[in-house]
Amino acid sequence: MRFLRFVVFNALETLLRLFPFPCKTGLIKIGNPGKDSPVFLTCNYHLTVQRVKRVLEGMEAFLLVANSRGINVWCASAGGHLTNHEVISVLKTSGIEDLVAHKKIILPQLAATGVEAKVIKQKTGWRVIWGPVYAKDIPHFLKNSLKKTTVMSGVAFPWTQRLEMAVAWAFFLSGILSLVMIFFWPKSVLTLILLVWGLSFIIFLSFPLYSRFMNSEGKKVSTLFSKIGRMSFQLLLWIGIVLALFAYSILAKDFSLAVVLRWSVISFVVIFILSFDLAGSTPTFRGGLLAEKQLEVVLNKEGCKGAGFCEKVCPQNCFEVDKMEHTASMINRERCIQCGACIVQCPFDALCFESSEGEKIPPETIRRFKLNLLGSRLKKSG
Amino acid sequence: MSTYILMKILESAPKRYDLGIRLLTGGRLDKVYDRLASHIKEGDKVLDIGCGTGALSIRAAQKGGRVKGIDINSQMLEIAQIWANKLNLTEQIELCEMGIAELDREEADSYDVMMSGLCFSELDDDELSFTLREAKRIIKPGGLLLVADEVRPEKIYKKIINGLRRIFFGAIVFIITQTTTKALKNLPEKIRDSGFDIKSIKINRGENFIELIARKP
Repeated sequence: MRFLRFVVFNALETLLRLFPFPCKTGLIKIGNPGKDSPVFLTCNYHLTVQRVKRVLEGMEAFLLVANSRGINVWCASAGGHLTNHEVISVLKTSGIEDLVAHKKIILPQLAATGVEAKVIKQKTGWRVIWGPVYAKDIPHFLKNSLKKTTVMSGVAFPWTQRLEMAVAWAFFLSGILSLVMIFFWPKSVLTLILLVWGLSFIIFLSFPLYSRFMNSEGKKVSTLFSKIGRMSFQLLLWIGIVLALFAYSILAKDFSLAVVLRWSVISFVVIFILSFDLAGSTPTFRGGLLAEKQLEVVLNKEGCKGAGFCEKVCPQNCFEVDKMEHTASMINRERCIQCGACIVQCPFDALCFESSEGEKIPPETIRRFKLNLLGSRLKKSG
Repeated sequence: MSTYILMKILESAPKRYDLGIRLLTGGRLDKVYDRLASHIKEGDKVLDIGCGTGALSIRAAQKGGRVKGIDINSQMLEIAQIWANKLNLTEQIELCEMGIAELDREEADSYDVMMSGLCFSELDDDELSFTLREAKRIIKPGGLLLVADEVRPEKIYKKIINGLRRIFFGAIVFIITQTTTKALKNLPEKIRDSGFDIKSIKINRGENFIELIARKP
């Protein structure tokens, strides 16, 4: 019964994955936790809470649900909905301080763009331990005495996640497009829905086939359609559809240029919407919009004391810390997706963002202003 | 008063917040806040929790209060600061980026008045009882707690009307701003249980908005 509920919620909320789903905030007891049980924190996105609870099943633990306005951990942290305030609030008001004898809280690593471990410690005395990116790694993380492996601290885009995204986009887009279509061409609504779902699955599931072209040159990732010269996968897909349309209408001896044209245009629009800044909607690539307003992470070697917070919170494993030399280096700079977690967490302010014109955006600005949509952080610091 | 849900749209865009509120409420909220601020006396020490763009804080300062406004949204506080500067009230208004969870750092019996405009409805049950507990501690004996907020109607038919409104506006707001409001349940009881004496309660005709004045004995 519990499993059935889990499946139904997962299916429903995957369809509506693009929308927030808030659930109750506060303290949840898993099993029969005692004074020494671990304390975890997560966002109040319903699906996340369900999944975390499922992973923790059978353990004795406390789970604090912070008010992220029903948004998932990474988006809420990057967008300023899961900040120090929400974490402090749930720590202080949920009564957890009376239930455990320690002051260690395990936060999901992806909250590091929004929550400052240093401030939490200062204001509440609780020490933040950055847990794994994915809840499924929690049992391994606990067995490994709260040490993360590289796999645990990296984001990935496996087929399960791509499937979720395909479903979420297909549901949303087919809904909107059929609403438009129903007025102009009601007979074709079903075909349109099938087309949207089909294209969505093709584009997201075949991602590994073309993803390597998205990061060529090491840094400049652009929208797929601006790289027509490179014959992106999407363009090929569209040409394929147009050819298939011609072939079908000729073979069916019912050639109508109008129909072929209409469906060509519709499939172009669908492919365009689905692939628009596809890079930016994956967890493993940086967005390609407004490349000139993008910011690069810069490490100031003099300020760095090798504390290693950057290494612990980087979802792309860009950093390596030399424990003997007490210094960090960005060995995988080309993989950086500019989430800014390293800048937010560095206790010595040794990291900052730099614009393409060489303007430096200091850590305090990054901590205050979330999101760099349309280069807003550049404006804020200017 | 579905407009109080709709204002969440504006809250997500702090810059348009004030103008939007005025348009949406047709000045109703202004009147509510004016009435609340009329309880402030010259020289009162006032704490405004969830001060936002400072609508209440500024009124309290104009009445001669020395106001500390707190909010967790730094962008809203920036707008409040601009207003304070424009109206030459910087001496009387101190704005801090902090949440209700940090009220335990305030000294006991240190405020004449604590006020909250549309803040309680954004808190969960734990947070609300924490806030009321701290309010009881930090307000001076004889001091006031002033609250204006969204509540759930009592009468069945008003409940239904309000529910329908909330479904409609709530859905729009949910999609655009990704926030939800939770109208308060049993607010007067909760305030009474926290050890306050209720001085007056004013509920609007739609039974979904409350103005409450309580005193710490």
